[in-house]
Amino acid sequence: MTFEDALQQALNGLSFGALLFILAAGLSLIFGMMDVVNLAHGAFYMLGAYVALSVTRATGSFWVALVVAPLALAALGLVVEPLLLRRLRGRHLDQVLITIGLSLVIADFIRLRDDWGWGATVRSLPFPPGLDRSISIGGSDYPTYRLFVIAFSAALALLLYVLHRRTRVGALVRAGVGDAEMLSALGVDTDRLFSVTFAIGAGLAGLAGVVAAPVFGLQPGMDVDALIYSLIVVVVGGLGSLSGAVVGSGVVGPADTFGKVLFPQFALALIFAIMALVLLFRPTGLLGRVRIGR
Amino acid sequence: MSRSMGIRAAIVLAAWIVLVTFPQWSAFWESSRFAAGVIRQILIFAIFASSLNLLVGYAGLPSLGHAAFFGGGAYAAAIAAQRLGTDELVVSLGAAIAGAAVLALVIGFLAVRALGIFFLMLTLALAQMVFAIAFQATDLTGGSNGFSNVHRPVLFGLDFNAAGDLYVLVCVAALLVGLLLWRVTTSTYGRALVGVRENERRMRALGYDTRTLKLSAFVLAGAIAGVAGALSSYEFRFVSPNDVALGTSVTGFVMVLIGGAGTLVGPVLGAAVVLLIERVLPSQLPAQTVLGIVFIVFVVFARQGIVGALRRVART
Repeated sequence: MTFEDALQQALNGLSFGALLFILAAGLSLIFGMMDVVNLAHGAFYMLGAYVALSVTRATGSFWVALVVAPLALAALGLVVEPLLLRRLRGRHLDQVLITIGLSLVIADFIRLRDDWGWGATVRSLPFPPGLDRSISIGGSDYPTYRLFVIAFSAALALLLYVLHRRTRVGALVRAGVGDAEMLSALGVDTDRLFSVTFAIGAGLAGLAGVVAAPVFGLQPGMDVDALIYSLIVVVVGGLGSLSGAVVGSGVVGPADTFGKVLFPQFALALIFAIMALVLLFRPTGLLGRVRIGR
Repeated sequence: MSRSMGIRAAIVLAAWIVLVTFPQWSAFWESSRFAAGVIRQILIFAIFASSLNLLVGYAGLPSLGHAAFFGGGAYAAAIAAQRLGTDELVVSLGAAIAGAAVLALVIGFLAVRALGIFFLMLTLALAQMVFAIAFQATDLTGGSNGFSNVHRPVLFGLDFNAAGDLYVLVCVAALLVGLLLWRVTTSTYGRALVGVRENERRMRALGYDTRTLKLSAFVLAGAIAGVAGALSSYEFRFVSPNDVALGTSVTGFVMVLIGGAGTLVGPVLGAAVVLLIERVLPSQLPAQTVLGIVFIVFVVFARQGIVGALRRVART
């Protein structure tokens, strides 16, 4: 592997990690607040990508889709949480099971919507104009869209950090992650807080779907792939914290990319091996606050 | 054997005889062959769901990766038969059981360290690794094409190629697995598993090595799922990455919960409901959507499944 190749793959790994961060942040946020692993997270991601496809077709602008699709998914989250999850509060495993049922329904819905241009065939979303070319970095050409993903994700991480640390909502979220029951006793409407958290998590999944769509395309099964990757990221990084999502995606993204180049047969085995090692030697994840096992 | 147990055994045996002779006594019905095919598939998935139920219902281990052992067994059966050039049932079924058990030992070793939701996440992710192997190791597994034209097995010169004979084989396997699971769940070992489900800490304090208990249940359940996988390869004469995919794990989980976790009959009823939705429901209705909604309704309103609901009705 030449230096140019290594640099290119490093950027690829970084941009994949950046995408994984957007994806895993939502999963981690919901878990941190509600102790629920949202197994419909992959389906939300997929739905975000398909909504973006329709919006881009209708308006001709990727940037409109980048705003509308996450909002649509957040709205869905705002409906789903009180409708399905709230009545099972305290029954965490059952809440997780509900999200499995939900993901079945969403994936089937997308598969059947041929008339919306969705359906079971592979679809693609073009790169937004301006970001559809390559620039020269270190002597080799590199697609500008992937650089955009890295910058966008970094900006999002910063935004989430500021929201988390400096705003009232962030303070409520931090308090809820710490002890939701106590927060409720202090007179905070935790029902609403949970709904909003779930909506933000769903919106982040949808956002990841939009950002990923031009690179990876849209097809059946993308929901499962996204779910698996985000689960690995949160297990490696540690569940329930923003920094855990950063570290997890920072490890998994590059590892997966370099694994695919260096030993294509075992690429997936590599990130699973990392997950297994973390689990055996650091059961809380690298930065987690919750023990995953004993 | 107490008297009520004797009566129960007689009822089960009678029901089994009625079932195994179904192709004969329903021969006048025009859809008899189709129905026998659906029953075969229900029984195969009942074996699969029952093995998962040992984990979910009895040991309290919510595995969402059980397809790894179903598909692993199916692949092991097909690969062994093809490589060794034999159609002997003992070979392919043996390979399925052994392959699935080894796989379950490896995955279980990691997964039983995690608790509750984390166990679910881990089994899901690790099973997906098996899926990736099935998909990528084209030399061994045929990649995305899988194995088509899997041979149906023979046993002591008995040929299971005819649909009727395969039907008997599946019925016998289902009965044997049912008896095995009945024996296991009513033994002290089975009670210990329930103890782990109810209060693992206390079981440890009582001197049980709960991690080994859980791992052994995981391997046993995996091996039985391997049997279901082998039977599925005979039934469909086809093995594909789909058998290892998350969808199959979810289907098994849905069967267990709809039927009633922690009961022996539940998974069988669940398998029947799910397959009837998938195979018999008018094709213009979206099967997966119906399944998802039915599942959600059961989780919210009837967490104990069909068996639990029937028991509640019987009590009032």
